[in-house]
Amino acid sequence: MGIGLAALATGCRPDQVSHYRVPKEAVASHPDHPGHAEEGMGSQAMPPSANADPGMPPPPTPKGAIKWSLPKGWSEAAGGGTMRFATFKAPYAGKLEATVVVLPGPAGGELANVNRWRGQIGLPAMDEASLAKSRAVLKTKAGALNVYDFTSEGQAKSRLVAGYISTPDGNTWFLKMTGDADPVGKAKPDFMTILGSVRLD
Amino acid sequence: MIKTYALRIWKYTRSLQLTIILLALLMCLVLFCTLAQVEMGTQGAVNAYMRSFIVWRQPLLMSLPFPGGALVGLLLTINLTGRTLELQRTWAKAGMWLVHSGLVILFAGEFVAGMMQVDTNLSIEVGQTVNYVQSYKNMELAVIDVTDPTWDEVYSVPDNLLAKGGTVAIPGTPLSLNVKRYFANAQLTTLAPGAPPSLATAGVGTGVSVVEQPVVSADNEMNQASAFVEPVAGGRSYGVWLTSVALGAPQSFTHEGRTYLLSMRLLRQYLPYAFTLKQFRHDVYPGTSIPKNFSSLVQVMNPSRNESREVLIYMNQPLRYEGKTFYQASFGKNDTLSVLSVVENPGWLLPYVSCVLVSLGLLVHFAIVLRRSLKRRQDQKEG
Repeated sequence: MGIGLAALATGCRPDQVSHYRVPKEAVASHPDHPGHAEEGMGSQAMPPSANADPGMPPPPTPKGAIKWSLPKGWSEAAGGGTMRFATFKAPYAGKLEATVVVLPGPAGGELANVNRWRGQIGLPAMDEASLAKSRAVLKTKAGALNVYDFTSEGQAKSRLVAGYISTPDGNTWFLKMTGDADPVGKAKPDFMTILGSVRLD
Repeated sequence: MIKTYALRIWKYTRSLQLTIILLALLMCLVLFCTLAQVEMGTQGAVNAYMRSFIVWRQPLLMSLPFPGGALVGLLLTINLTGRTLELQRTWAKAGMWLVHSGLVILFAGEFVAGMMQVDTNLSIEVGQTVNYVQSYKNMELAVIDVTDPTWDEVYSVPDNLLAKGGTVAIPGTPLSLNVKRYFANAQLTTLAPGAPPSLATAGVGTGVSVVEQPVVSADNEMNQASAFVEPVAGGRSYGVWLTSVALGAPQSFTHEGRTYLLSMRLLRQYLPYAFTLKQFRHDVYPGTSIPKNFSSLVQVMNPSRNESREVLIYMNQPLRYEGKTFYQASFGKNDTLSVLSVVENPGWLLPYVSCVLVSLGLLVHFAIVLRRSLKRRQDQKEG
C-alpha cells in the first residue's frame, strides 16, 4: 500500500472543458450517430441495469417485413447501425442520410417520436392537435403511412422528412431522411416515391 | 523564550521517540485502510486514509479524527531529514548517509505518486482499435460534433464541472449547457403512470424517472452519473435532456447544420497513438481451469513517430510507452476483451533509485563496520 505521504490533489483531474479532435470510431461504438438515432422511445426509455452491457439492445428481427421500390440512382445497404434495418444512399450531393428502422410495439408512440425528431433539429415539442395538423397521410399497400416534414430555424437549416407506419404484426417502422435543408429538399420527391411504394413482404 | 520552544520542538521533531510513534500510527493506518477496502474499494480507502492529512468521519474509526497518511508521512520525512542532518559528515558515516537519503527519496516518490499519478484503464476487444484511456470512476459529459465525415470534435465536460451546476460554455462552438441538475449516482427507472413529470423535455429522458443514490466507491460498483442539461445555442434552447451512463446510447440534436451527440461516460483521455488488439490469450494449466498466463498481443500505431509494431503485454511484463505503463489487468467477454491497467507516474523511477541507494548504503556501512572490527581485532592481537 505504501506510505501515504501527501496528496492534496486527487490526481490530475481537469476542471474545465477539454477539446479533442479524434478519428471517427467504428459505427458500433456510436449506435446513435445522426441518422442512427432512429430508435423509438420505447426501446431506449428502459435504462439498462447497472451491471448490464452499456451497449444498445440488438435490433429486432421483424417477422413481417415491409418492402419498397427505389427510384433511379438510389441504392440501399442492409443495416449500417445497431438499430437500423436498412440505409439508403441518395444520388444528391450534400449532407443527407436516409434510413429505415423497425422496432417492436408502438415504440413509445407517434407523438413522442415526432417530438424527439423535432428536438433533434431544435424545434419545440408539439401536442396531439398540432401533430395531427402537420401529418400527411400516404396510402400505401401496407396501410396508411404518416409523413412528417420539419425544417429547423437558423441560418444553416436542417430538415427531416419521416414516414411512420405500424404493420399488422405490431412492429413500428420509421423511414427517415435527415440532413441539410437543400439536399433533403431535392431528394424529397424521390423519398416520397419510396414511401408511396411501401408494401408488406 | 520563543527560541527555546522552537529548539525544543525541533529537538522533538527529530527524536527517535517521534519516529516510533509515527511508525506505530502508520501501522494502524495500514490496518484501517486494509479493512476499509472491503466497503470503500482500494482507491476510496487509499484516498480516505493514506492520501489525506486527517481522516474524518470514518465509521471504522467511529467518526473520530485520526492523523492521515499524508500528515504521518510528512512528519516522518521531517523527522528523517532532521536525523540525517544530525549524522556526522565523515566517511565513517557514508553508508548511513546513503541509507537515509534513500529513505527520503522513497518518501518523496510516494509524494510524487500521490500528487501526480493518474490511474486509468484501456479496454479493448480483439480486432478493435482504441486511442484513449478512461478513468475508473470519474465521469464526463461528452458533447461530440459528428458533422465531419472523418473527424469527431469531442468537447469533454468533466463531472466536477457538472457538479457545480450553472452554465457551461463549450469553447469553439456556439453551444452552452445549462446544467439543471447533476447526480453523482442515480437510479433510473421508467416513469410510472401518474408520477411527476421528468425534468427532461427532449430525448429519452422524458420517460425516465431519476432517483438520487449515495455515491459508491467499492471496486466492483460504478456510479450511475446522470445530469439534466439544456443545450442553448444562438439564443435558442434545444430542450432539457437527461444524460446518464445508465442510458446506453448517446442522444443527438442538430444546430445550424451541425449535429451534436450528448453522451455521459467515463472520463476519457485521448492519446496521440492507438492500440489494436490482435490476440488475447488466457492459458490454463493442462487439465485444470487454473490460469497460467494472460497476454495481449497489441499493434502499437503512432503516426507522429511513423511507428507500427507488435508488442506482447503479459503478466509482470508491462509496456512502458510515452510516459504511461500498460499492465495486463483483466479480461472478459469469453476471452475476447482485454483490460489493460494504465499508470502514469512521473516519479516511477524514484522507488528504484531509493532501493539502490539503501542497498548500497547498507553494503557501505557493513564494509566500514567490518573493516573497523577487523582492525580492532588486529590491534588486540598486536597489543
